[in-house]
Amino acid sequence: MTEPAVAIHDLTYRYRGTKQNAIEGINLVLERGDFLVLMGPSGAGKSTLATCINGLIPHFHKGKLEGAVIVCGKNTRDHTVAQMAEDVGLVFQDFEAQLFSTSVELEVAFGPENFAVPREEIATRIDENLTYVGLADFRNRPPSTLSGGQKQKLAIAAVLALHPKVLVMDEPTTDLDPISKMGIFEITNRLRQRSDLTLLVVEHETEEVLQADRIALLKDGRLVKVGPAREILRDVDLIESLGLMPLGIPRFFKAIGFDDTAAAAELPLTPAEAEVAYRRGGWRISSAAYEAMVARETAVEQSFRAKTPLIHCCDLEFSYPNGVKALDGISLDIYPGDIVAIVGQNGSGKTTLAKHFNGLLLPTGGTITVNGKTTKEQGIFRLGQLVGYVFQNPDHQIFSETVYDEVSFGPRLRGLPADQIKARVTETLKAVGLEGTEEEDPFSMTKSGRQRVAVAAVLAVQPDVLILDEPTTGLDYREQRSMMDMVRRLNENGSTIIFITHHMWVVAEYARKVFVIKDGRLFLEGTTREVFSHERELLEASLRPPHFIQFTNRLGRTMLRPAELVECTEGGAA
Amino acid sequence: MDAELYLDYNTPYHRLDARTKIIVFLCIFVGVLMFQDPRWLIPTLLLVLVQLFVSRSARNLQRIRYVLLVMSISSIVLWNFFASGTTPLFWVFDVESMYYAIGRTILIFSIVTMGVILISTTRNEELIMGMIKMGLPYRVGFAISTSLRLVPTVAASLMTISQAQRSRGLDLESGNIVQRVKKFLPLLVPVFISSIRNTNIFGMALESRGFGAREERTYYLQMQMTKADWAVLTFFFIYVAVSIWLNVAGYGKIVGLVRF
Repeated sequence: MTEPAVAIHDLTYRYRGTKQNAIEGINLVLERGDFLVLMGPSGAGKSTLATCINGLIPHFHKGKLEGAVIVCGKNTRDHTVAQMAEDVGLVFQDFEAQLFSTSVELEVAFGPENFAVPREEIATRIDENLTYVGLADFRNRPPSTLSGGQKQKLAIAAVLALHPKVLVMDEPTTDLDPISKMGIFEITNRLRQRSDLTLLVVEHETEEVLQADRIALLKDGRLVKVGPAREILRDVDLIESLGLMPLGIPRFFKAIGFDDTAAAAELPLTPAEAEVAYRRGGWRISSAAYEAMVARETAVEQSFRAKTPLIHCCDLEFSYPNGVKALDGISLDIYPGDIVAIVGQNGSGKTTLAKHFNGLLLPTGGTITVNGKTTKEQGIFRLGQLVGYVFQNPDHQIFSETVYDEVSFGPRLRGLPADQIKARVTETLKAVGLEGTEEEDPFSMTKSGRQRVAVAAVLAVQPDVLILDEPTTGLDYREQRSMMDMVRRLNENGSTIIFITHHMWVVAEYARKVFVIKDGRLFLEGTTREVFSHERELLEASLRPPHFIQFTNRLGRTMLRPAELVECTEGGAA
Repeated sequence: MDAELYLDYNTPYHRLDARTKIIVFLCIFVGVLMFQDPRWLIPTLLLVLVQLFVSRSARNLQRIRYVLLVMSISSIVLWNFFASGTTPLFWVFDVESMYYAIGRTILIFSIVTMGVILISTTRNEELIMGMIKMGLPYRVGFAISTSLRLVPTVAASLMTISQAQRSRGLDLESGNIVQRVKKFLPLLVPVFISSIRNTNIFGMALESRGFGAREERTYYLQMQMTKADWAVLTFFFIYVAVSIWLNVAGYGKIVGLVRF
């Protein structure tokens, strides 16, 4: 028998300056050609485990390491990260910071150059790997001009050029739109066919990890369960209890009692399997129930349309100073009290559009009015009172030493009296679920905590409209849910909510209305159900509904949540 | 946002070898130090402007126009304090010291402009290669070019952060200079933090791709000196030689200037 590609023995690690072990007692063996996915909630130690494999732990991050990590016969303790690079490739989540060359081909060349690979051989490797990830036509482009998905593909090519035996990817798709995600998973799938390569991928997206051989679930630094991918994914209760996203399809089938039948071991996971199982089970969608549901939605839509729009865009155009046209004739209305999602590919113009709503950017053509007046005449300072904007990265916003200072910043700038400021802060922190944290240091909070502080800081000036740019990125499923539940509560209390997101399930679950942006134009608009029923058009905009919705689309109806389908399903137990 | 300093044009200047461009930069640096009198600096200034024009780098110079403006004004004022002449103009300003201040300003402007031209026309990797071929160790070359690379990253994050704060009601556009600087200070905290975070990932990415794995290293990028390079070099060597000779011969000085 050959030695395993990765062997982890009793691994325990603690970061310097912390009291708790980040990972504890991990035992894991990956044979050559294995494809293992590592899943777990935030703070479970996934990235820690991933960085242990190429030696960044213990060489780059100092701390206390016990046990051993043996990769291709080399103990990581005795080899530098650079020496390990020939055996282990590591792709990071942040696709901006891991690229540093000025052209695509030099990015790929960097690794082999460090190992003194002859120049002709480097040329071959550049060709081979750029073709492999589908970037052969971009070889002379600067990486900064690539889209997010292309950048991540380039990062993979750059790592593969070293001909590693083990490839570790740490949440490679977290910041990507659905189709770019698929592009990465498509590459992952081809990579797994290679018997010489062992894959370890940290991933949040349950739908995509169906392809893996095995899944390892991690919680609080310990391995909870390791098993065949499909088996683990069928255990929706376990997955949900860990704070991960359960698949909608098995959850639905469990809810309608598929579990009790003899076929429990065949609980469907994919849309195709689900369709077969649904029809075979003798279930039907009750048209009456479905139509009643849609009719309720139509009535709501009409009641919104009867109002005066709060934000009104007419042929909105925006070009950057360098001449790049980011928005090209967008006309849309957003009504008071609504909760809408703006979706689209990386770089489609979503954020540019949203930045017009609070006057951060002014149109170069067409008009935009907020509350009946153009954004230009109101100016950002006054508009900021009306339209709050929460930026994607809370770290771009937070600068105070205490949560109190941070949240009171807006009200103080607007000259509120001291006692009112105090009341505001208390009230706002309560709204975001951070009561009693006034004296804490925001920088030492978790990502989801910082995200909430950022929302609170914007909420504190009591805007009518709240824009959230990717509020769920970088959070795990449970945090995403509680974040969005909070946003929904704000909406129920009267705020108009506009959010930008890549997470289609968030759209399905929380948005009433969806705007799809493609190449700076409004490509699709409608209620969430209408938009998700146009699966093919969505695909053109690099978007894709969640598996569960794809499954119901196959049945000819669009259901946004398992509960809806349960409600509309009749028959069964044939 | 486009924060890249390198301008991807195909001008004859871009096509020059990085070594040539570095040497030209050094030649101007030496040449400009040879004269005090601004009138004697005019040929050098013209030489710099011609390069600016040929390399189409003016766009980058325009980006730092405020920095240049502040630098020029303060240089003109300050040099008058550090030098004096025999013909008084007003207050601390004398005719000779004024000439001198103008000369120093031309010197600063020329060097900054040459730096901008070098960065605008040379890719990072070419710059490293150029420095290595001229005898610098790889790590030193890499460090220099990485620090240059940080500039656009920091500029981009400063831009996002100032937008985030403006959306919260921070008015960065009004008030006098002291008030504005005061308002700008809070922005630096997130800028530093995000830069440090990015630098950390950058460091990890570098090591993960084998930076410094072996003593020796190969280079994919190849550089070739062409006839044009030699022609340019010859011209600039003559320029430096003439400048030095003129300096030694006593030309280009300001008569009656006293420096402190």
